[in-house]
Amino acid sequence: MTDATQDPQGPSLSPGERERYRRQIIIPEIGEHGQERLKAARVSVIGLGGLGSVSATCLAAAGIGHLRAVDCDRVEPGNLNRQFLHWTPDLGRPKADSAREKLSALNPEIEVETVRLEVTAETVEEAVGDSHLIVDATDNIATRRVLNRYAVEHRIPLVFGGVAGFGGMVLTVAPGDSPCLECLFPGPDRTEDREIGVAGPLPGVAASLQALEAIKLILGAGSPLLGRLLLFRSLDMTFREVLVDRDPDCPVCGPARRRT
Amino acid sequence: MKKTLKIVVNGLEEAVDERTTVARLVEVHGEGDVHLIVERNGRFVHPGTYESTRVEPGDEFELFHPDFGG
Repeated sequence: MTDATQDPQGPSLSPGERERYRRQIIIPEIGEHGQERLKAARVSVIGLGGLGSVSATCLAAAGIGHLRAVDCDRVEPGNLNRQFLHWTPDLGRPKADSAREKLSALNPEIEVETVRLEVTAETVEEAVGDSHLIVDATDNIATRRVLNRYAVEHRIPLVFGGVAGFGGMVLTVAPGDSPCLECLFPGPDRTEDREIGVAGPLPGVAASLQALEAIKLILGAGSPLLGRLLLFRSLDMTFREVLVDRDPDCPVCGPARRRT
Repeated sequence: MKKTLKIVVNGLEEAVDERTTVARLVEVHGEGDVHLIVERNGRFVHPGTYESTRVEPGDEFELFHPDFGG
C-alpha cells in the first residue's frame, strides 16, 4: 500500500537545497523534516494541459523529489492561452518533452520522469507507476473516473481539479476515508461534443490549490478537502464548499465494493 | 386540493407540489446533464437518492454543471 501521509525517513537536504527551499523550511508546518518528506515523495501529475502545467510547476519548484508527468498530446496553438509549461517554440512538440525540459530547468535537484501515454483502464497502472499521490489534471470525466478507480483500489490519495469558463472545482480523495469521484459522478461518461472554454488564468487557480493539497497530504499538515467540494466562480470571485458524504452504494468505494 | 410549498432553486423562489422529488427538480432544471451536481442546503445530494428524496419547505437548492475541463 502506498500512502502519501506515511512518514518516510526522507533523504537529508544538501546545502543547495536548504538555500533553494529556505522560504518553505522556515514555515513551522514544513521545516527541514517536512522538506525532506517532500523530497522523498513520488507524485504523478496526469495531464499536462492547463491544470497540469501549473500543478507540475508548483510541485517541481516546491521540491517534490520524484515527479512523474503524463500526457500523450502535442502542443497546439489553442493550448497557449493557459498551458504555461508550453511556449510558442514548442508548437508541435510532445507536451511530455516540453514539460520535462521546463521542469528540469526549473529545478535540477528533483527527478522528473515524463510518460507519453493516453490514460485508459488498460494503461493507468503504467501512467501512475509507483507514485504515492495522483494529481488529476485531465480534461474529461472518462479519464478522471479511470484514475479515481485506480486510486481507490490501490489506496493512493488523489487530488481532483476541474475548470470550465470562469469557474472551477477541487476535491481531495483519501481512499477509505472520504467520498471518491464516483460517489459524486456515478453517471455514464459524458462525451463532450464541443470544446470547453477556459479563461487563461483559471486553470492556474485550481492547479495551485491542487498542488497545495498534494503538499499538505505529503506533510500531513492542515485539513485537506475531504468530503468538501471546493467551488470557485471567478466572475463573482467567490469560493465556497459543498459538503459531500460517502455514497454507501458507491460501486468504487462503497462497502459492497470493499467486501469483494 | 394540491398543497404547494416554497423552495429556492438557484436563488429563485419557487412554489412546488409538496410531493416534488429531487428527481423532478433535476428533470425540470437539469438540462439533461448526467453529471449535474445537486446541492441541498449546502450538502451534496447523491444521484441514487433523487427519486426517494422529497423537497421540504424552505429547502435551498443549487443545481449546477460540474467543471471537467483541464
